[in-house]
Amino acid sequence: MSVALIRAEIAKMRRLRTGIIVLVMVVGVTALAVLSALSSPDFSDPGTRSWAALLAGMSLAVPLTSPLLLAVLASRQVDIEHHGNGWLLFQTSGATRGGLCRAKLAVLGAVVCAVTAAEAGLVLLAGIALAVPGPPPLALWWGYAGAVAVVNLVLLGLHILISARVENQLAGLGIGVLGTLLAVFATGLPPLLAHLTPWGYYALATAAGYRDGELVTFVPGYASIAALAVLGGVLFAVFTTRFDRREAS
Amino acid sequence: MTLMSMIAAEFAKLARSLSWTVVVLLPAAMVLAGALSSLVAGQQPADGWHTVWLRSVVFYGLFPLAIGVAVLGSLVWRAEHRGGNWNALMSTPVSSLRLVAAKTAVIAALAMAMQLVMLLCVTVAGKAVFALPGMLPARYLLISGVIMLATVPLAALQSGLSMLLRSFAAPVAVAFLGAGASTVLLLAEIGPIVFLSPYALATRATQLGTGTFADGGEIAGATVGSLLAATALLSLVTIAGAAAILDRRDTRT
Repeated sequence: MSVALIRAEIAKMRRLRTGIIVLVMVVGVTALAVLSALSSPDFSDPGTRSWAALLAGMSLAVPLTSPLLLAVLASRQVDIEHHGNGWLLFQTSGATRGGLCRAKLAVLGAVVCAVTAAEAGLVLLAGIALAVPGPPPLALWWGYAGAVAVVNLVLLGLHILISARVENQLAGLGIGVLGTLLAVFATGLPPLLAHLTPWGYYALATAAGYRDGELVTFVPGYASIAALAVLGGVLFAVFTTRFDRREAS
Repeated sequence: MTLMSMIAAEFAKLARSLSWTVVVLLPAAMVLAGALSSLVAGQQPADGWHTVWLRSVVFYGLFPLAIGVAVLGSLVWRAEHRGGNWNALMSTPVSSLRLVAAKTAVIAALAMAMQLVMLLCVTVAGKAVFALPGMLPARYLLISGVIMLATVPLAALQSGLSMLLRSFAAPVAVAFLGAGASTVLLLAEIGPIVFLSPYALATRATQLGTGTFADGGEIAGATVGSLLAATALLSLVTIAGAAAILDRRDTRT
């Protein structure tokens, strides 16, 4: 993957208005997380405000907002190659279809990691602004953010592959919509079922929520998330290598 | 060309566009997800049909409905943005208003079909999964009628966005944002938003008679009347606006 390829992908982002989608993602997750914490009964009295309520808000806002917007980000970045005959152009200038996909994942992946960090950071700042008592659970906070970043990256890779493989972007976006449903409902499923789809791992990463009516913090399923990272990485490498061997079209 | 023959042409273009997958799969997935979460929690719907309706249709109205219509809009306009079709469209001796109206009619018809599939799936879930007594009460048929009409301005808006934006995904992102913002405004009980935002109108219609958000729980004549008035107003404004914009567009090279 050459520097020139990475720079080309960054240049494409300008006219694709990737910045706006990214802004929507950050503002959407932050606003939804803070609103959901504010609407919980614990938050009406400043004395009982807790960091767990904010973490629970994030655990609701992330699976609701991320799957579809990741599909949109990937689809926009890949669809231009279908529209502008970019695959053939890059293939004749030495960059294979798989290489192009890897460059897209590298560039968009960096953006998505920054988005996740911004979401977690802004919700943390909101907690400080709302004068939540006690020190914030920083290890859990950034552990959760890291787990979400991994799930986001795996989904991003999946959507880049789908958008590149199927020209009709209905496929990628349709899967994004169904993924949103899976992500939202996975919280209510037993953990075993949540392991079955990549969207379920948002539920496994959950850092706080209600158990028997009590708001408690959880330890995210780091082992499961690590396994997803390895599996996702291997599959992305395998599929993009297979793309490399496809004839120019 | 008459409007009817244009609509017929639009339906012919749809035959191979895979739009039926959205019309069938989205409502089916919504009902399935609602039913599964009840089953996994090991509980019967506490309030019978009302609970099944809440878990599928009201949730569907919060944002999946808007996304579904947005995807349909992108599918219907996709063909026009490919190859030399845009220029063919620009040189067709048909007024912009007719073209926009025909596209809107097709997208709205698909959105209405989605609600019919929804009714069918809710009925099947209620009878086959939860063995609820009786059939789906008739009031839900009336509510569905209002929902179907209230999706027309949404179809017109998404048609306009997909006409302007060549990207498939961009109008879907706009719909997600619009539906999310409208849901927050409805949650804050700002009722008049239905006269401004087609997203809010469609969402509000799915909450009719359920007592959720700002709804009182009954199907009040005044509420239905204002929803229908908003539907007529927003449809006219959106279709006229899209036609005026298309009038100023030219061929592309």
